[in-house]
Amino acid sequence: MLSSIVTTLTVLLIIVFLFSEGLSVFKESPLEGDNIIVLNHHNTVSHITSSDIKDIFDQNITNWKSLGGSNDSIILFTFNDIGNYFSEEELGPEFEFLPAKMDSLLESENGMIAVFSSKYLIKNHKSKVIQADNITPYSFLTGKEWFPTANPAVQLGVLPLILGTLYVSFVAIIFALPVGLATAIYMAEVADEKTRRVFKPVIELLAGIPSVVYGFFGLIVIVPLIQSTFHLPVGETGLAGSIILGIMALPTIITVSEDALRNTPRSMKEASLALGATRWQTIVRIVIPYSYSGISAAAILGIGRAIGETMAVLMVTGNAAVIPHTLLEPVRTIPATIAAELGEAPANGIHYKALFALGCILFLITLTINLWVEFSSKKRRFGK
Amino acid sequence: MEKPDISRKRLAEAIAFWIFRLLSLGVMGILFSILGFILYKGIHVVNWDFITKMPEDGMTKGGIYPAIIGTLCLISGSMLFAFPIGVMSGIYINEYTKDSWYRRFVQLMTANLAGIPSIVFGLFGMSLFVNKLGFGDSIIAGSLTLGLLALPVIIRTTEEALKSVDEGYRHASLALGATKLQTIRRVTLPVALPNIITGFILSIGRVSGETAPILFTVAAYFLPKLPSSMHDQVMALPYHLYVISTSGTNINESRGMAYGTAVVLILIVLILNLIANAVRRYLGKKYKTN
Amino acid sequence: MKTKFINALLAVTILISSAASAQRIMIKGSDTVLPLSQKEAELYMKTNKGANISVVGGGSGVGIAALIDGTTSIAMSSRPIKMDEKLKLQEAGRSYKEVTIAFDALSIIVNPSNKVSQLTREQIEGIYTGKIKNWKEVGGDDMKIVAYARETSSGTYEFFKEHLLNRKNYASTCLNMPASGAVIQSVSQTKGAIGYVGLAYIDKSVKTLGVSVDKGKNFIKPSKETAKNKSYPVVRPLFFYYPVKAEATVKPFIDYILSAVGQKTVDQIGYITLDNK
Repeated sequence: MLSSIVTTLTVLLIIVFLFSEGLSVFKESPLEGDNIIVLNHHNTVSHITSSDIKDIFDQNITNWKSLGGSNDSIILFTFNDIGNYFSEEELGPEFEFLPAKMDSLLESENGMIAVFSSKYLIKNHKSKVIQADNITPYSFLTGKEWFPTANPAVQLGVLPLILGTLYVSFVAIIFALPVGLATAIYMAEVADEKTRRVFKPVIELLAGIPSVVYGFFGLIVIVPLIQSTFHLPVGETGLAGSIILGIMALPTIITVSEDALRNTPRSMKEASLALGATRWQTIVRIVIPYSYSGISAAAILGIGRAIGETMAVLMVTGNAAVIPHTLLEPVRTIPATIAAELGEAPANGIHYKALFALGCILFLITLTINLWVEFSSKKRRFGK
Repeated sequence: MEKPDISRKRLAEAIAFWIFRLLSLGVMGILFSILGFILYKGIHVVNWDFITKMPEDGMTKGGIYPAIIGTLCLISGSMLFAFPIGVMSGIYINEYTKDSWYRRFVQLMTANLAGIPSIVFGLFGMSLFVNKLGFGDSIIAGSLTLGLLALPVIIRTTEEALKSVDEGYRHASLALGATKLQTIRRVTLPVALPNIITGFILSIGRVSGETAPILFTVAAYFLPKLPSSMHDQVMALPYHLYVISTSGTNINESRGMAYGTAVVLILIVLILNLIANAVRRYLGKKYKTN
Repeated sequence: MKTKFINALLAVTILISSAASAQRIMIKGSDTVLPLSQKEAELYMKTNKGANISVVGGGSGVGIAALIDGTTSIAMSSRPIKMDEKLKLQEAGRSYKEVTIAFDALSIIVNPSNKVSQLTREQIEGIYTGKIKNWKEVGGDDMKIVAYARETSSGTYEFFKEHLLNRKNYASTCLNMPASGAVIQSVSQTKGAIGYVGLAYIDKSVKTLGVSVDKGKNFIKPSKETAKNKSYPVVRPLFFYYPVKAEATVKPFIDYILSAVGQKTVDQIGYITLDNK
């Protein structure tokens, strides 16, 4: 039966496409286009990281001493300042004199740094061209700053995004799993048929509420509530995200685990009851262990929905790309980043590829969770 | 000797059940307050004109007819693709494979697919269907993306439904000389059908509310005409809701339209659920399960 | 190999588009320009029955990417086209034209309860780069500043950075909101908030601030008048890009937007009209 391999095929295809786009980010230089960094040839600095470049252009580093060079203050040059140095006649109508002028300008100032396109570099240049470090998996994963559109060098550090995603999702599941499971047990084993007939469709219906609606509900109701309850300057926090995600994961967790609980063969339950066990004991000893795989499936689907949830999180967590220390701070998650930024990123540019790389990370995180739950649930089943 | 022990057990049971009951009611409370909030804000917008007219006056007046049609197109497109494959796959996994390396691998892959976030499906759909296969932003690209998203839900529920069919039925049928295929078609499937339909409805619910996968594969902000082929773009309810609630310049005027859209979306899911429940009850009576 | 593939892709696109009517126009891109294009298209089609205009969002980058692929007739953008996008258009052999269809004044907003009513550009830079953290440093109450920004990749974010932050990067503690509507909502319910949105979005739930770019001599409040007479410093153009090849199809519609009737719609929506007379 061909149809059974369709999921395998899809997973493989997703891996191929996502990774071929995403991994190509690691061959890139953080500079835009064919830009290069050019210094005065006296300058002893020969190696510069992309976060140094950002600090230099944000004027947080103002002296070459702090980068291990000589004691010269840094003079920034960008093309927007060109009018301060040369008139248009000096550059020529087609900027044909620009390369030579740039070279002599750089040589006249010891502390000057310029970033410009390599086509404006004169052939026998005196000034010194240095390389910015390419983006490596290590710098990508451990970098703490996410400025994908920074100029002249992009900052692609995804650590705050990864931590933000995991933090918000796991807290959401900590809220949702016990509540969801309790509801599922109540519906499957405790409640009478009439109650169940009311609960079931309502919960299925709730799975159908679009995430955007949850997002707006969160922004208008939950965010101000958190702000006033905890006396915070700002209500868009990880906690708001966790609560909304928890609520969103509930229908999934309840429906899937309830179906699993109800699939416990009647004969097993009856045997337990006949042996004198109470209904509660039967639930704990028989029904839950039997439906363990179903319940773990519920947890997987719930976590999957929480980690991958995009629109609602985008609206309530504030999206500040800082490493979260408490739940009462704004956080930024990976899916929110992809959804918000992909549309504006130039296709096939470095930012675009970085977002695909984020997609890869998201995929790997969910894959790890799935495999972990799958193997732990299997161990239980066979260990019995 | 045994008496106090039993009563303690009974007490524990009663307390546990009460906690469960309260938590369940709490869940219902949260859910109803969200529902109530949306219905309260949006129900007065919804009328016949709202669901049968084109948007007018910069999306602040008129209706959402094209978005409803678009969502129905996407639902049927994705289900046309995902439902048969999903059910067949579920049957194959549950009925034809032994508990082997192969079966576990397929189940693992299905679980993995279910766990993949919808935004990743969106990225994938964009790079495969829209760019590589050259479908462009179209119904077919969006439907396939959504179909893949719904596939694991359908497979899982089909499997679970078949698993719940009592072995006795199968043995009886086989003992009477029916072939395996006959057994599945005449006995196993009809008994499992109500639960398979639940899976179908759940996946429709998921498909109709998803925004992230259609963001880069099919959704359009405004189209003057209804789609005429699989290669057209469509407006879709969740995306429509997202754009009119965030990017109009007159948020307060279009807010009503936004809540109205949310109400329609919820009503669609509600109607589908009612149908499913009716079908489930009807079939459930016909073939009594446990 | 690659060109073959692109050719095949092109053939498919042409087939699809020729199957539809010749009058069909596809507009794609920036979410900021989206509401304007939609309304213009709606009104245009009322008077020109044969026209068929689709409007699709996705962002400025998506619009220009579609222009490069040849899958759209007009790309809307809230930022000027970037250098590497120009290069790609050149590689694909597509010459294009740029039209400014309206202007947008970026307004700085705070919660109505905030005492502060004006800021200098240097103060705004301090707030958004994280150097000024409390409202009392700029003459307000003792209250923590919560800075709301737009998403990193939106044209609005870039424009703000270029014109008010002296190209410095935002502090990473800024809250990035997905849409201007969300910024308004958050600023209206957060006491210490500051944010920025286009003039068209302003309503009574937030307060606009006067901005000074001459170190505090003159503070100008954003309005249609101050934007038009160029005294308000943060005004940006909104663009349409279209391939020269499609000029015959899109020209009537663009002419309509630039006409007096079309510009009246621009004004109604809250953007600033072109003053070409």
